[in-house]
Amino acid sequence: MTALVRAEWTKLFTTRVWLGLLLGACVLVAGFVVLFTSFAGSTPGGGQGGPPGGLPAVGTEQFEQLVLATGANVTVLFLILGIIGMTQEYRHRTATPTFLTTPRRGRVVIAKLAAYALVAVPFALVVLAVNYGVAAVAAGARGAVPALSGENLQVLANSGLALVVYTVIGVGLGALVRNQVGAIVGGLVYLFVVEAIVRQISAIADAYKWLPGGALEALTATLQGPDLLGRWQGGLLLLGYGLVAALLGTLLAVRRDVV
Amino acid sequence: MEPSPGPREESAIDSGSSPHRRPVRVEVHGLSKSFGAVRAVDDLSFTVEPGSITGFLGPNGAGKTTTLRMALGLEQPDAGTATFDGTPYPDLPSPVRTVGAVLETAFHPARSGRNHLRVYCRAAGLPVSRADEVLSQVGLADAGRRRAGGYSLGMRQRLALATALLGDPAVLVLDEPANGLDPEGIHWLRGFLRQLAHTEGRTVLVSSHLLAEMEQTADRVVIVGAGRLVREGSITELRSGAQGSGAVLVRSPEAGRLTEVLGAAGFTVAPSEDGRVTVTGTTPDAVGAQAFRAGVELHELRAETSGLEELYFRLTAGQEQYAAAEGSRR
Repeated sequence: MTALVRAEWTKLFTTRVWLGLLLGACVLVAGFVVLFTSFAGSTPGGGQGGPPGGLPAVGTEQFEQLVLATGANVTVLFLILGIIGMTQEYRHRTATPTFLTTPRRGRVVIAKLAAYALVAVPFALVVLAVNYGVAAVAAGARGAVPALSGENLQVLANSGLALVVYTVIGVGLGALVRNQVGAIVGGLVYLFVVEAIVRQISAIADAYKWLPGGALEALTATLQGPDLLGRWQGGLLLLGYGLVAALLGTLLAVRRDVV
Repeated sequence: MEPSPGPREESAIDSGSSPHRRPVRVEVHGLSKSFGAVRAVDDLSFTVEPGSITGFLGPNGAGKTTTLRMALGLEQPDAGTATFDGTPYPDLPSPVRTVGAVLETAFHPARSGRNHLRVYCRAAGLPVSRADEVLSQVGLADAGRRRAGGYSLGMRQRLALATALLGDPAVLVLDEPANGLDPEGIHWLRGFLRQLAHTEGRTVLVSSHLLAEMEQTADRVVIVGAGRLVREGSITELRSGAQGSGAVLVRSPEAGRLTEVLGAAGFTVAPSEDGRVTVTGTTPDAVGAQAFRAGVELHELRAETSGLEELYFRLTAGQEQYAAAEGSRR
């Protein structure tokens, strides 16, 4: 199994997809942090003080948690990393040599899940480092560097966990759908259209907290939102989704013909 | 990510010919698979012997690729088995060291050929140095560090072959390996396969839809049509069985008299203008002998289609209609 995990890492690091996604994630996070900091304390009307609807002011506890949770906004790129990791085998038809080398196909999927979960940890740490670094510089320029302690650290860790779990969900989703474009488009439409709508409709909004997006929000949100699970419950639910995707993906990969 | 052959890697394997390689016989027994109403492979059985090249011959759509993919555990047969020395492919203790297969010539376009091979070295627990060894074995040493996306079709075939050779396997299964090769590449492949089978004693199974190619390469052929076995045997057996079923082209200044003489002797003769006569269902030898006895001058005498080719056409003709009729009957 170690050999298979290492083979997956060789696959990942011999193309440049990982670099593009990681850089993209870092740029997005840096941009969001700068944006949040620039508009911190402003209200929709343009006044100061951070009333509801606006962003909290620099130096407040809410601002620091909001800005340090930015990493959770790029989970989608980590989802895509996982999806590509699995679906590239089908897209470029390397599934054939892969499954010829390891005819027990479940082992391939498990190795991929492990390899991507493990690789997502340093990737997430890079994103978190960029997140904190840019926040420290940007907020520092406005007079208050966020402390790296207590609740703030917890917020960062939650984002990191979300990034890793979304990578695993991506691998599982890729094994289920197999078509790269289909899996990515499907994942995006689900996260940004389906869940957004469920979240809006009050009659079914209760269901939202049980969905992956709701679980992510419960784990990482720092602003007042809809009715959500507790933070650790959200984290567990998200992990559960990751495992279910992984399990279904493994079972299907084992049963279906490789075409 | 530079590899270091750690202690976990299994024992290094001999490159090149190893006299200790255990010969492995491939046995396909009663394989069947349907896609909807179409019976792609229908109760197919044959064996492939070590130390020889077996051609797996049939027109496009005859079920060759499906058969090979089932034998290698990539597709699930509806019935039947394929075994390598008695063991199904997925149950082999180390599959790539027993069987090497070329089924796809597609690669991740951004990955170099060498890195592609290293991935499978890793996955199979082989030392990564095997990647360079097989690259030079197939003549790709110089292109190994280039992106596979820029490879020509012939280079892809060679890279696919290199992938199959990584584990120094006793059996090689190749699906249409001559596709995309230029004449020089085909000549190289022929010599390479002969060396693998005849010199090194490996079991080689090569699929093709081209009889001419197989006639020059294979020792034995397994001919399939519409998913069924139509003929199995050595090239020599088939050739002698097909004796006298070809077409012979004769050119003579006395075409009229030749037509009469041959017709009287019971040959099927079709004369045309410009002194050419086509005789079907016989051999150049028989026609030559008859003309000599009658004292007819000949300027040209040759087999237009070999008996084997004629036999192949006959065996595999109209398979599509056959398959459709089969389907509608069910």
